[in-house]
Amino acid sequence: MSDINPALETFAQEVDELLAAMEEALLGLEGTPDDVDCINSIFRAMHTIKGSSGLFGFDDVVAFTHEAETVLDRVRNGERAIDAELISVLLACKDHTAQIIQHFLFNEDESLPESLQQQSQALIAQLTGQSTAAGGMPSTQQEKADHFEVDDNTTDSSDNWVISLVFKQNALRNGMDPLSFIRYLQTLGKIIEVIITMPTLPRIEDMDPEDCYLNFKIAFNSSADKKTIEDVFEFAEDDCDIYILPPNSRQEHYLQLLADLPEDQVKRLGEMLVEIGALTEKEVAHMLHEQHDDDNTETKPLGEMLVDKNILQQPVIEQALKKQEAVKQKINKESNYIRVDAAKLGYLINLVGELVISGAAMRLMVDKHGLSDVDDVASTMSGLVEDIRDTALQLRMVQIGETFMRFQRVVHDVSKELGKQIQLQITGGESELDKTVVEKINDPLTHLVRNSLDHGIETPAERMRAGKPEKGAIQLNAYHDSGRIVIQISDDGKGLDSEKIVAKAVAKGLIKPDQVLSKSEIYNLIFEPGLSTKEEASNLSGRGVGMDVVKRNIEALRGSVSVDSELGQGTTVTIHLPLTLAIIDGFMVEAQKERYIIPLSMVEECVEMSSDAWQIDEVQHYVNLRGQILPYLRLGDFFHKNKKHTHTQRESLVVVRFGEAKAGFVVDELHGENQTVIKPLGKLFENLNGIGGATVLGSGDVALILDVQGLIQHAKKRVNPTLALSSSV
Amino acid sequence: MAKTILIVDDSASMRQVVGIALKGAGYEVIEACDGKDALSKLTGVKIHLIVSDINMPVMDGIAFVKAVKQLDNYKFTPIIMLTTEMEDDKKRAAKEAGAKAWVTKPFQPPILLAAVAKLVLP
Amino acid sequence: MTAKAKKNDGILCMPIMDDMTIYNAQSLKETLLGYCHAGTQELQLDLSAVTEIDSAGLQLLLLLKAEAQKRGFTLRLLRHSEAVIEVFELLKLGTYFGDPIVFPANWKKS
Repeated sequence: MSDINPALETFAQEVDELLAAMEEALLGLEGTPDDVDCINSIFRAMHTIKGSSGLFGFDDVVAFTHEAETVLDRVRNGERAIDAELISVLLACKDHTAQIIQHFLFNEDESLPESLQQQSQALIAQLTGQSTAAGGMPSTQQEKADHFEVDDNTTDSSDNWVISLVFKQNALRNGMDPLSFIRYLQTLGKIIEVIITMPTLPRIEDMDPEDCYLNFKIAFNSSADKKTIEDVFEFAEDDCDIYILPPNSRQEHYLQLLADLPEDQVKRLGEMLVEIGALTEKEVAHMLHEQHDDDNTETKPLGEMLVDKNILQQPVIEQALKKQEAVKQKINKESNYIRVDAAKLGYLINLVGELVISGAAMRLMVDKHGLSDVDDVASTMSGLVEDIRDTALQLRMVQIGETFMRFQRVVHDVSKELGKQIQLQITGGESELDKTVVEKINDPLTHLVRNSLDHGIETPAERMRAGKPEKGAIQLNAYHDSGRIVIQISDDGKGLDSEKIVAKAVAKGLIKPDQVLSKSEIYNLIFEPGLSTKEEASNLSGRGVGMDVVKRNIEALRGSVSVDSELGQGTTVTIHLPLTLAIIDGFMVEAQKERYIIPLSMVEECVEMSSDAWQIDEVQHYVNLRGQILPYLRLGDFFHKNKKHTHTQRESLVVVRFGEAKAGFVVDELHGENQTVIKPLGKLFENLNGIGGATVLGSGDVALILDVQGLIQHAKKRVNPTLALSSSV
Repeated sequence: MAKTILIVDDSASMRQVVGIALKGAGYEVIEACDGKDALSKLTGVKIHLIVSDINMPVMDGIAFVKAVKQLDNYKFTPIIMLTTEMEDDKKRAAKEAGAKAWVTKPFQPPILLAAVAKLVLP
Repeated sequence: MTAKAKKNDGILCMPIMDDMTIYNAQSLKETLLGYCHAGTQELQLDLSAVTEIDSAGLQLLLLLKAEAQKRGFTLRLLRHSEAVIEVFELLKLGTYFGDPIVFPANWKKS
């Protein structure tokens, strides 16, 4: 051993010690066969030698000690009894291990001579072949099971589905006979092999024959797809854990499908696998649920879980992950960024706005003069203008992810400061919205996140007491929903206490003591000025800025905010925002010769305003619209208080909705939808009631964009307050 | 040996259609028009599967399932309940009572046959 | 449900006279457990009268086999009925129990 390197020397020494200990323990076992310490020390010897040999690439040693280790593990778990025969085999194994290690120590690069190899085989056969089952696990079945799991490359099992069924205790009592499902399975293909194990089987005396102890592993040959096979066990779902591993031959198929998946967007691993049929929706839901439950340790990635649970083969997962990465890279590569001054971009968008207006002006002229030959050209041009407008707005779209990411630091710092353990989870970071909106949403978001950190998530001790994991979670989520972006801030903290809120609101005179409110109405009271449920404000979230300010800021962006909570479970704040502030789809109406634009998304319906059809209360200003009490407002009267009201023949009622609140606007004429470029009003008009902005029409006239929310508030105030509340539901 | 299925439904036409389909597939069929009637038939015969409606006069499906679970000779018989989408609360109640398999009404005979076959092949 | 045991030289030959289903699993288990006493060297079970066997019945047979191995006596299954053969075929259990299965002449191969 003169020329071997120092690590090998250590290894040799270690092996000597381990094997000596193993021998001693084996001999000790002859007297006391149940000595746990002895069994552990034998196991450890084989286990450690296997591990170290792997380091040096002594594969033959690894292979041999692995077998011994496996048998010893079973002995350790009480699945196999240790008897004199096994002891003598293990002693032989010990000697053999020493021998083959000696070989490699002196002939590092030479493979094992034939004689030693044969000896290895013989000993392995003795170790595994003659094993007598001591527990409920019949030995031949066990070996089959091992073979099944480890060796999925053998040809005979490669083309089969492997279905694992772990039946629960009450399956038989519930009438769910495993045999029935297996019989039905036969109608879809051929059962190649069945391995039955009963790992939880107690002693025969304690066994309840009405309990189910049976687990099945079925090699199944079928051309049916995964969903069809899963459906066989549909009724057993409650009484059985089902894992279906597709055949290796399907792998090729799945890999092909994966390769064929379009590369236009980044999908989640689960989504991709469901799309190619390698995974069913149920399996994904089940896995995610499990992932979620498993909160004491770091959660395992989905892919790893799928391989662990024998639901999908490693290569398919790897391929899917590779594909996912490739798509990400491709998309990244495609988006070669250029830095552009935001002011330049703003100017461009302004110009596009002007272009839209002058396009409309041209349209008007063409129609006015009946220039039919110009008509086509004008149409093409307005199409192009629309495209330019959309593209220009796209330029200013940014992903919200970056904004979300900033909160990682906030959460980290603040939770440390507060002595809490909080994890921030971010989803939907790829959702896009206008940069101007992003800038303005930062403050309200900060406030809401700090609120969750400060008041929402409890201290670790409180959480433990409540039976929750020590570590709290705050989630930021964003997604697009019908032309708007939805941002959610949720926590799994203590939730809102509706009783406290009501008490506070009563004390502040916001509601009457006997007023009956729905849960969501109560929660949304927290957005009322002066309502902060925490008695003493901390230096984080309670610095004078209340939830009412958050709400006002969001509404200034033509957005809305609502809150939902479950006491003890957590709170979710949901923000709806327009994607952009520059352009809206508007609905144009006319009252007293003045044109107004109502954001189209807020228009519910238009009906004729006639007292025959609807009960109209002219004094209290509400209308009974199909049994719904609706406050209404005459736009003409509202904006022209001094002018004498002249009734036109036919008035229309435009029903608008903002969040949960609804009202009607009475107008003289409806002009229909139009695209509106918002021009901010000058400083002078900033505080104008009921007006949110203005736009220039094609004709050069100015139309006012209505602040629907403000107007609804106004309309509601004029009717009897109790009615106002009932109408807001 | 042919397997025997007990159909419990207050609709005679439903019993008939289901009966014909099951007989055609090779099952023996016993019919009952409500839970009480069905219980009276659960004596002396071997029943391999029960297919029961939920809404029935005299004794509804949930009470029937509960009663079956009390019968020593029938308590382990698999039971398929026929429900409509609307009856989520009843479904829950029946599940608690011990029914584990479901077929949603309205259904075509092949759907029921497939469900039956998963539990008992003819 | 089980007839009186014929006993000679530690060989117990028992016919099972009834179905092996969950409905009689409790009593069947007691009966089978009764056979597993110290004197038993070989237990022969005649399955010819088993017209029906379900998972609960199968479970008991598997349990008995494991128990036999543990206690060191031989379990032999004889004269498998059609119902038993069907389940053994379904789950490929023939080789596990290792007893010769004699197919009846009128056996319908499904």
